[in-house]
Amino acid sequence: MIDLLVIGEGLSGLMAAYHAARAGLSVRVIGKGLGALHWDAGTIDLLGYLPGAHDSLRCPMKQLGLLDPAHPYHLLGEATLAAALAQFVALTAELGLPYSPAVVAGENSLLSSPLGAARPVFLAPAAQQGGDLGSSAPMVVVGFKGLRDFYPALIAENLNKLGYPARAAFLPYQLLSGRRDANTVHLAHELDAPARRAKLAAALKKLLEPGERIGLPAILGIDDHPAALVHLEQIVQAPIFEIPTLPPSVPGIRLVKSLRQHLLQLGVRVEAGMEAIGFETNGGNNIQWVETETSARPLKHRAKSYLLATGGILGGGFDSDHTGRVWEVVFDLPLTIPQQRSHWFRPQFLEATGQPVFRGGVPVNRRFQPVRPSGEPVYANLWAAGGTLAGADPIRERSLTGIAVATGFAAAQQIATSHALT
Amino acid sequence: MFTESWLSVGPSLDDCIKCNICSSYCPVAAVTDLFPGPKYVGPQAQRFRENGQPHSPDHSVDYCSGCRVCNEVCPTGVKIAELNARARAQIVADQGISLRNRLLGRNELLGKVGSIAPSLANFGLHNPVSRVLADKVMGIAKEAPLPHWSRNGTFGSWIKRTGDQRLRSDRKVVYYHGCATMYYEPFIGKAAVAVLEHNGFEVIVPPQNCCGLPMLSNGEFKAARNYHEGNIQKLTGYAREGLAIVGTSTSCTLTLKEEAPELLDMHSEEANTLKMAVWDIFEWLRELYQAGELRSDFHRIDMVLPYHAPCQYRAHRVGKPAMEILMLIPGIDLRESHARCCGIAGTYGYKVEKYQIGMDVGEELFGFVREQGDAVEMTACDSETCRWQLEHGTGLPSRHPIEILAAAYGLYDLEARALVGS
Ligand SMILES: Cc1cc2nc3c(=O)[nH]c(=O)nc-3n(C[C@H](O)[C@@H](O)[C@H](O)COP(=O)(O)OP(=O)(O)OC[C@H]3O[C@@H](n4cnc5c(N)ncnc54)[C@H](O)[C@@H]3O)c2cc1C
Ligand code: SF4
Ligand code: SF4
Ligand code: SF4
Repeated sequence: MIDLLVIGEGLSGLMAAYHAARAGLSVRVIGKGLGALHWDAGTIDLLGYLPGAHDSLRCPMKQLGLLDPAHPYHLLGEATLAAALAQFVALTAELGLPYSPAVVAGENSLLSSPLGAARPVFLAPAAQQGGDLGSSAPMVVVGFKGLRDFYPALIAENLNKLGYPARAAFLPYQLLSGRRDANTVHLAHELDAPARRAKLAAALKKLLEPGERIGLPAILGIDDHPAALVHLEQIVQAPIFEIPTLPPSVPGIRLVKSLRQHLLQLGVRVEAGMEAIGFETNGGNNIQWVETETSARPLKHRAKSYLLATGGILGGGFDSDHTGRVWEVVFDLPLTIPQQRSHWFRPQFLEATGQPVFRGGVPVNRRFQPVRPSGEPVYANLWAAGGTLAGADPIRERSLTGIAVATGFAAAQQIATSHALT
Repeated sequence: MFTESWLSVGPSLDDCIKCNICSSYCPVAAVTDLFPGPKYVGPQAQRFRENGQPHSPDHSVDYCSGCRVCNEVCPTGVKIAELNARARAQIVADQGISLRNRLLGRNELLGKVGSIAPSLANFGLHNPVSRVLADKVMGIAKEAPLPHWSRNGTFGSWIKRTGDQRLRSDRKVVYYHGCATMYYEPFIGKAAVAVLEHNGFEVIVPPQNCCGLPMLSNGEFKAARNYHEGNIQKLTGYAREGLAIVGTSTSCTLTLKEEAPELLDMHSEEANTLKMAVWDIFEWLRELYQAGELRSDFHRIDMVLPYHAPCQYRAHRVGKPAMEILMLIPGIDLRESHARCCGIAGTYGYKVEKYQIGMDVGEELFGFVREQGDAVEMTACDSETCRWQLEHGTGLPSRHPIEILAAAYGLYDLEARALVGS
């Protein structure tokens, strides 16, 4: 029997699997499908906005005290949060996909969104750091005629409105691919080829004006990405940065790919296409196995401990019916989400304090074990992490990936400790 | 008119969040412009394929190979491959089916006819002149790896001939051999029988039909329904007695378990009883192993063995049981392929317009095998058509895991593909 079964293969599940394996546990990860990193910008957003506030935060670590007491960051405490982020930075360096605090350690920096808005980011992959809006260097945002889901003119116009100097430029799509129609992932694969990059670099050099830095859609290679960036910058002789595109998102996919490869080296298998649909206890509060659906009878997965990392409403970990009842799909855990549809939302769509339905989730204790309203752990060998957790409003706060990285780490630590004790 | 029920497959399109993950992982969309990808031909085009509407809006759906990678990665559980299969069936219902596709769908009939005079049939099918003719007239690619009829008689004749040598036991299991084992590769069935008997089981081989998969994938739903009804009649009795029905062809077992009932909307009590009794042979052996009942008197086999789990295996959603069992054999250095598909996809890669697409898709797998170095003498894969494609693409022999297991028990000669002492 393995030590830990992680349910969900998003960022929180993968991070927890990594830390648990490093602590010596035998771990397996199962997931219904792939996680949100595939359509996410690939940055680690710790905390961009406080509830109700309009302006973005500069120093998120100093503002944690202002969050709701039930917020996962409160449960973690500042030291654990900092340790989780430091470990993430170290891990990505080891993976060859280095993330680092974009400009000043401990501060958010502002990077352009796919639509030219300024988004507060805590940790960014190397390729996005050159786009820091705190720098006054003018930007040329380069698109490709015919490439869907990246609109340089819109980006430049919106950046200008915000006071950042930017202009748009276009290159022919044929520079990227001989294909008539390809998505960003296919194009990134094309740019893994040095010859293709050299052609692109030559064209970029021509349209560059002195002092400019170049913003490109995030398609600069997948398997050979770090080398691709260096290669382009060497030829063009100007700073180049990536702007995330609409989904699918290559920066997130790069991270998932290398994390999964690393996990395999640590002996952790990640199985997609496995949907957890039920479980069995020993009659008391110990989970004996979890069942996944198959083409016929359910398959049992036995482990000493289980981690729920199914991503809540956004990840598919919660379901609801027309009356507004919401439930957690694997263990039917107690939730803090209002159980009536009329209470999910406030009257205003764009309510500054957020919508109750997104704030709710699985309440946990400081050990990241799901609890009943009485505070008792629901099951002795069950933990939870990531988007399933109650207490945050991750979309408004821009804290989804930060919570995933930090609570994945903390839950794995707690599980490892509990195994060391028994 | 198309009158299938849309239960469970149809409504799943409403769960599509347009994340494009499926299109990023689809192996066919990655290599050709002729296929715009699962999101477009699946959940998107589906909106325009209302029940009873005469024409599908999107004929490129014919380029979907049915590998189901999309289903596996979709984060919200959209049954994309099934939507595509139904759309293809609608096109066939509208426009009729080519002689070629009708022939390729008649695996059982072809097997029977060819077995009457296998040498003649092999010559007739495999000589260069008829391959060119088949290519030009019928559209069966002249390079494609077509099977050879068995020269040593069918599996059925062997079972009959050796009836009095077969083990009698009160532990019984039913064997579903499928057409490929019956007519082309009887040695797979012999290896399976040997392994099952070695573990103390009496093997029952009842009369049975083709599972109907080739017809399902060519859109001939009516003919497939007849076959599935035949199997229900012939096999459900054993299921009622509580016997397991194990198969060595991952696609046959998947069809009996899920594809036929789902696509043909056959959800009767009998169909369900049959479904629940069917196992892939390694899925079943894994249960035996977990119960501590699998014999482990293995001979050492020293070899580097690249193993590719066919997509149909992943579609079972049971993990990779063959790999788990092969890893128990001392000496085998198993190398797991993470390639998405070998490209043959049943009969897809046989078709002249799709042969090259199949080879381009398969390159991911062939490249993986090459990377394992010169020590590799053979590969392993559970599916017959994939093995033929693997041999075609790598030049190395390929074996079913049950052959390897039988060899490890000392019952089977991997080179001669025959039972020891026969
Ligand atoms: C999760 C998610 C889900 C989405 N779901 C949908 C959805 O369901 N439906 C949807 O429509 N969009 C959706 N989008 C947005 C979509 O991806 C956008 O790129 C865009 O809105 C697609 O719209 P379209 O079909 O009109 O354009 P596309 O099919 O993307 O094509 C637009 C074409 O117009 C060209 N073009 C752009 N600007 C100009 C111009 N000024 N003059 C001439 N040609 C131009 C482009 O080069 C491109 O070829 C989604 C985005 C996300 C992130
Ligand atoms: S992966 Fe699933 S949800 Fe995403 S676009 Fe494809 S079908 Fe839709
Ligand atoms: S079944 Fe395979 S080929 Fe067809 S759309 Fe899905 S991933 Fe692509
Ligand atoms: S051909 Fe092989 S690898 Fe490809 S679709 Fe089929 S089973 Fe999968």
